Amino acid sequence: MGYPHRPHSRETVVLSEHFGNPEARSYDGWVGMGGYQALEKAVGMDPQTVIDEVKASGLRGRGGAGFPAGVKWDFMPKEKSRPHYLCCNADESEPGTFKDREIMRWTPHGLIEGCAIAAHAIRAETVYIYIRGEFTEAIAIMERALAEAYDRGALGERVLGSGVGIDMYVHRGAGAYICGEETALMNSIEGKRGNPRIRPPFPAAVGVFGMPTTINNVETLASVPHILNRGAKWYKELCLSSPKSSGTKLMSVCGHIAKPGNYEITMGFPMKDLIYDLCGGMRPERTLKAVIPGGSSVPVLNREEAESCVLDYEGCVQQGTMLGSGGMIVFDDSADMVYQMMRIARFYAHESCAQCTQCREGTGWTVRILQRILAGEGTATDLDLLLDIGEQMTGKTICVLSDSCAAPVGSAIHKFRGEFEAYINGARQPVAVAV
Amino acid sequence: MRHEAPAYEPVFIGNRRVDLDRVLERYPSKMAGLLPALWIVQNVRGWISEEAMAEVADVLDLSPAYVKGVVTFYTMYHQHPVGEYFIQVCTTTPCSLCGAEDVVAALLRHTGCGELGATSPDGKYTVVEVECLGACGFATPLLINDDFIEDVTPERVPEILKGYQ
Amino acid sequence: MKEQQLVSVTIDGIEISVPKGTMILEAAKQAGVLIPHYCYHPGLPIAGVCRMCLVEIEGAPKLQIGCATRVADGQKVLVNESEEAKRARQGVLEFLLIHHPLDCPICDQAGECELQDYVFQEGQSRTRYSPHFAKRFNPVEDFGGDILYVPNRCILCTRCVRFMDHVADDGILNVSERGDRAYIGMHPDRELDHPWSGNVVDLCPVGSLISKEFLHKARAWELDKTPSVCTGCSQGCNVNLETRGNQVVRIKPRPNLDVNRYFMCDHGRLTYRAMSRGDRLEAPLVADRGELGAVDWDQALSRAAAAIQGAEGRAVALVSPGCSNEALYLVRRLLSSFEMVGAFSVQRVEGEVPLAGVPGLALREERAPNAAGARALGFDTTYDTAVAAVNGAALVVLLDDALEGRELDMLAGARTVIYVGTTLPDAARTAHIVLPVATAAEEEGTFVNRDGRVQRYFQAKSGPAMARPAWWVLSELLHELEMGDPLTAAEEAFEQLAADEPAFTGLSYATIGLRGARARKGQAAGAER
Repeated sequence: MGYPHRPHSRETVVLSEHFGNPEARSYDGWVGMGGYQALEKAVGMDPQTVIDEVKASGLRGRGGAGFPAGVKWDFMPKEKSRPHYLCCNADESEPGTFKDREIMRWTPHGLIEGCAIAAHAIRAETVYIYIRGEFTEAIAIMERALAEAYDRGALGERVLGSGVGIDMYVHRGAGAYICGEETALMNSIEGKRGNPRIRPPFPAAVGVFGMPTTINNVETLASVPHILNRGAKWYKELCLSSPKSSGTKLMSVCGHIAKPGNYEITMGFPMKDLIYDLCGGMRPERTLKAVIPGGSSVPVLNREEAESCVLDYEGCVQQGTMLGSGGMIVFDDSADMVYQMMRIARFYAHESCAQCTQCREGTGWTVRILQRILAGEGTATDLDLLLDIGEQMTGKTICVLSDSCAAPVGSAIHKFRGEFEAYINGARQPVAVAV
Repeated sequence: MRHEAPAYEPVFIGNRRVDLDRVLERYPSKMAGLLPALWIVQNVRGWISEEAMAEVADVLDLSPAYVKGVVTFYTMYHQHPVGEYFIQVCTTTPCSLCGAEDVVAALLRHTGCGELGATSPDGKYTVVEVECLGACGFATPLLINDDFIEDVTPERVPEILKGYQ
Repeated sequence: MKEQQLVSVTIDGIEISVPKGTMILEAAKQAGVLIPHYCYHPGLPIAGVCRMCLVEIEGAPKLQIGCATRVADGQKVLVNESEEAKRARQGVLEFLLIHHPLDCPICDQAGECELQDYVFQEGQSRTRYSPHFAKRFNPVEDFGGDILYVPNRCILCTRCVRFMDHVADDGILNVSERGDRAYIGMHPDRELDHPWSGNVVDLCPVGSLISKEFLHKARAWELDKTPSVCTGCSQGCNVNLETRGNQVVRIKPRPNLDVNRYFMCDHGRLTYRAMSRGDRLEAPLVADRGELGAVDWDQALSRAAAAIQGAEGRAVALVSPGCSNEALYLVRRLLSSFEMVGAFSVQRVEGEVPLAGVPGLALREERAPNAAGARALGFDTTYDTAVAAVNGAALVVLLDDALEGRELDMLAGARTVIYVGTTLPDAARTAHIVLPVATAAEEEGTFVNRDGRVQRYFQAKSGPAMARPAWWVLSELLHELEMGDPLTAAEEAFEQLAADEPAFTGLSYATIGLRGARARKGQAAGAER
């Protein structure tokens, strides 16, 4: 569902409060909504105090890994001997995820403010906002907002009149999912192929341009001003289940759902309510079959698991999957899980950077086997072969792209084996697949 | 008769060179200007030829092979000329669930492209499938040049194309 | 020197101590455990992409790559003793083979292919990749220079790209495209014509980058390798001469961290051609009534001894800087009773051709392996003066001097001319006695490189017909003249040399070994003056 749309009463609107309101896009509009107060407060604070505040809020990375943001910031060197960098990861490319785009489209100054606060906390003088190349509208809006923020003194040599200097630029990607991986993102900023780097060294020690760097997701950074405005305690208490997950989360819901769109929930919200209440449930005459909750990279949940899943980091793990980026792909009973898994695998095969053997060769091989199954030419051993290839693709490569291909496919075979077998034993009509 | 390729006309002259230099100030290394420089080339020329890669390499003190390696990594850089309107259709899982394949078929039919990646005989359109445009909740999204169009159905295709004649 | 901190690790049950910061793969080598790998090469920056060197570290949640994981004190690493690591390696091999053609029977790399080796060692004898799936296919490409690229065999380890980028500092190669469509690419502006680019063929673990010069010439398992020193210039790169039957078919670098690390230049590689030239001297010749005719060694040596015995006054020695120290030393001894003028001429090509990433390594201007040795042994480069002294000399000894560009009658003014050489240049046809000798590929000996490093080379093949090593010929001649005992090995000549020549004091074949050695401190043999 596009914007403007009225938030559902059970949403907790923090980040999405001004979604759909074009006023929020301008500097004055944003200031009128209480914007830039957090930044003003932050630049008056000691960087460590800002870090401690964010740590206390329990804010965790919203890009997928869920690493505590304050702890990440704390990894940065305290002695400033070299330039520090902040990279805002706006390469949102995870299938099923479209929340960062909305943040940038509607509240660009909120993101700028969050970036500037984070930059101050980690003592970075330069921020690159890495936006995927396809987000033409978001790029234009962010560029305009940045120019305005400079004009109004919110960025530049003296941020809001303080002694803090911060420069902030948009760096446009050019079509590569893998650049959302933080080390690949840094390489891409440096003008290289977006190849993930081996770790160690970690970015906080050797990051972009060889300097200490922190990379945070858009949603993570956009949450920061709210934490400073309302206090860590308030944020920490936004929690319905596990105390390890706090705050609000933008859930992108798409696929077979009555009202797709972004929904902002408090951590710990039941997935069942999100689907059936906020999103209006299934399309008419349809029933829920499966959900991939965290963007296409995580294991599939079947209906029972999905309906008992609690939406926070721990709740998803408990169901054998991950909250990831919060991009929920919903499949109803009309979905062909075999075809869709092939589609997912094809995505990863297309996006593999070509570095690691398992990923480069394994993703393509997975696609070919799935296509063979769809074509009615699968063999009895194909499913075990897929699982075995998947195991070889898991936990053995530089980044997790390879794992991300194996996870949904493997879990779908476990949970929907009958659908695969129907193609193999001829019970189901073959599907012609463009290779 | 000898066919001579027309002499290559540099992109980074005059104001464009100034623009690039301004972009370069954002980064501590010249190499970091590569992606922005390639965007400038593509905006000006519509695609990135091997001569243009060599020019970019020269301007940024890189090797032409290095630049080519980078160009071929990123799918948005065109290594060949494309139609006046370059149409990218998302067909990744969420959009596929919502019928993106039918949108592709409608686009191929109405543009006259016939097949993916081919340019229509009138040179106007090129249609390609793209992996996830990041607008899954607004399936099926199109990107026509820089215009993002959401909630596209096969029925809407002819009307949308009217805006790109 | 700062004391190096050591850490103890156990690798497959073998405990070793290595300097802190050592990568597991290197530590394992020291424990005698070879962790299979493709992208890792000690002469290149670490990439960590092939994922072949995955090992189990006790207590670690998942396998780690040996090439980029530093050892930690007390760590237990399992390579061959870990089922999980073995399975992971089998997995990598299977993935690598899904597109790799099984064209080993026509592949030049077969027999020295790391893919073949590891599959044989621990891979699976079957593939689960359906024969109905098309293998990726791209045509063979001529990369220019000496190099062909066979993309179908490529495993994208990127060693070649890293060599060109970081060692040659000339980014001619790239990785193009991504995923399983990726390949090693170039820009049409440029060929792979860097003077050191031949190294990418050695670095390629499979038969993807191959040498046109060697194409289909021999199978790797037919080749014998003999340690030698490159004769292409004064750098003295350590090499292996690779022979098939009695022919040198290629030259490959032999690692020596002090001289050439893992590399050699393309000019040096091509010196193998001269080792098979067809115009070699095959028998001793003596002049009778102005005509050179073949004789046996006894006759030739006694004629030569008689000629020397009868001479008095000035002797001129024109020597080649491609001859061994042993031969040069014996020439000097041979002429010790004369007033000797000794010189050599060395081909100089202006402009060194460095390998940017390896300080101290370059194709040098002096295009001969032993100019430094010749200098140390009292020969100088006032070659024209020496040539002028030929006129009226009692004796002229030419040691394989090619007499490049000299007049045909240049030797006419000398009373006796003895030519000791591998081939007979036109200007030496007026010599009275011609003694055929071996090339560096056909004998044992030592050279001194430009840094004063004395290095040994070994015999890789036999010389043609009656040609003998120069040290043997000269020592027989000395014996004939009652100036010494006949020598039976090059080593004996070197012992005498080391005893007589201050620049070589303290050295022996044993101390020089395969890595070379400098003479006593302050006595660097033949350092350029």
